[in-house]
Amino acid sequence: MACLVRRLVSMIELDGVTKIYKGEVLALYNISCAIAKGDFVFLVGPSGSGKSTLLKLLHRQEKADHGSIWIAGREIGSLPKARVPRLRRIVGCIFQDYKLLPNKTVVENVAFALEVTGSPRSAVAEKVHPLLELVGLSRKLHSYPNELSGGEQQRVSIARAFVNRPPILLADEPTGNLDPDTSLGIMRILDEINRRGTTILMATHDSGLVNHARRRVIRLDKGRLVQDQAQGQYHA
Amino acid sequence: MFSFGFIFRETRNNLRWNITLVLATVVAVWVSLTLFGASLIIREGVQQATQRWQGGIEFIVFMNPDATEDQLVAVEAGLSENPEVESWDFFDKNQSYNEFVTAFSNQPELVDSVTPEDLPPSFRVRPTVTNSEAIEAVANSFNARPGVRLVSLPLDAIRVLQENTRQISVFVLVLSVVVLIAALMLIANTIRTAIFARRQDIEVMKLVGASNWYIRLPFMMEGVIQGLLGGLLAVPMLFLMNDLLAGFVEEDFLALLRSLVLDGGAVGGIAMMVTGIGAAMGAMASLFATGRFLDV
Ligand SMILES: Nc1ncnc2c1ncn2[C@@H]1O[C@H](COP(=O)(O)OP(=O)(O)O)[C@@H](O)[C@H]1O
Ligand SMILES: [Mg+2]
Repeated sequence: MACLVRRLVSMIELDGVTKIYKGEVLALYNISCAIAKGDFVFLVGPSGSGKSTLLKLLHRQEKADHGSIWIAGREIGSLPKARVPRLRRIVGCIFQDYKLLPNKTVVENVAFALEVTGSPRSAVAEKVHPLLELVGLSRKLHSYPNELSGGEQQRVSIARAFVNRPPILLADEPTGNLDPDTSLGIMRILDEINRRGTTILMATHDSGLVNHARRRVIRLDKGRLVQDQAQGQYHA
Repeated sequence: MFSFGFIFRETRNNLRWNITLVLATVVAVWVSLTLFGASLIIREGVQQATQRWQGGIEFIVFMNPDATEDQLVAVEAGLSENPEVESWDFFDKNQSYNEFVTAFSNQPELVDSVTPEDLPPSFRVRPTVTNSEAIEAVANSFNARPGVRLVSLPLDAIRVLQENTRQISVFVLVLSVVVLIAALMLIANTIRTAIFARRQDIEVMKLVGASNWYIRLPFMMEGVIQGLLGGLLAVPMLFLMNDLLAGFVEEDFLALLRSLVLDGGAVGGIAMMVTGIGAAMGAMASLFATGRFLDV
């Protein structure tokens, strides 16, 4: 009963999740945790500890070998392939390498995410501009990714992930390629998005950012959950 | 939640990016469907001709050029008595000469060397029976009559003609199927190339939650358009071929081959079928290619 209630208020819940790549690389072992709606959680740990794998499981880019994962109350391990696109519309994702399309402008990159999920063109224009304003790119609308700095590219990618207003946003080392000042800028945008109600799970090994933010910290080590602490600290 | 504008734009961009490969593929579809349509035209022509020949078959009783009036009257009486003869026309020396002059108008020396006196009068006979053995029996019963030079049956000629045209149509059919298979593989490969070229876009589409058909349809459309274009281009070729055939058999004075030529409606039916097959080929090949290489 307690379990069911928790599941109803949790945005994300993992129960005994294990992931083994190619039948031999143990990437995650018996992970259980719950993240409530509106939380901002850091996922920390050294390189190879399983952070990316955990995020990929939540986005159904990979499937768990054992255990269950609930997103917004639905178990996603048994989700049929055809339903995965719907899951990804409620779980936005940003990446260390941005994954922008080089032959599209800033506006087009963000609009693309709306178009391919079936939004009519009129809605596209309406939604894209306010969002690019939010991430501070109003003056670079028609630039191409190779004309932007790393921080600017990451802002475009955040705008793209958020344009469908997903209730969950996953960020896999979004500041991994950025200098500290630029990283702070990105953090401020993620904070703003979190304040608007989106649950955020951010993988990072930047201890400075984590310790400054005073948020909940989940730490992985060699695929095991070794720390789960509100207003946690992280010392790499 | 479904924007045709997006699908349309993506399809257009794919086609434009891939233009040389697309053109080559369209040409392959075009050639294969033209051959395929041609084999159908020949087949249907043979069928039509066989029907007509079977209905209107006749044999010709040639008299000696110097046959007497009595001999002619006797043969004529034999024809009217025979219940297996439906009707006949008598061609006298002058009629035969006129026919001869028309038939060999391009060889004036030959025409000059012949006078009406040299040509045999003849009876063109339409039997009531239609199977070839019965016709042969009737025809041969006139062979031994006085004044008869020979009885000519076109049956053998028809049989040879049928056999030849059938062989040609089978040959063209086999050839067209080979090219058709090549065209199918080309369509599939064109789409595979397009998928490869756009793998980055496809990855992003998957990550932001594009539904599978959104990713798949532009590639499917690309295949269907290539097949359809090839089919449409084959249509004028088929009409042209039928016209050429018609012009060619105009010169056949026996009118035997004219039955091979189809009318516009029949060619139109084949052309529509060929266009449909083109579109279906495109759909099949792209269904295969997207299923195999897209992983959605
Ligand atoms: N696709 C894969 N195939 C095989 N092993 C993988 C794959 N992805 C990750 N791994 C392994 O799984 C472990 C966890 O990787 P990852 O989740 O990327 O860690 P992190 O993001 O914390 O650096 C590592 O040992 C890594 O080598
Ligand atoms: Mg990683």
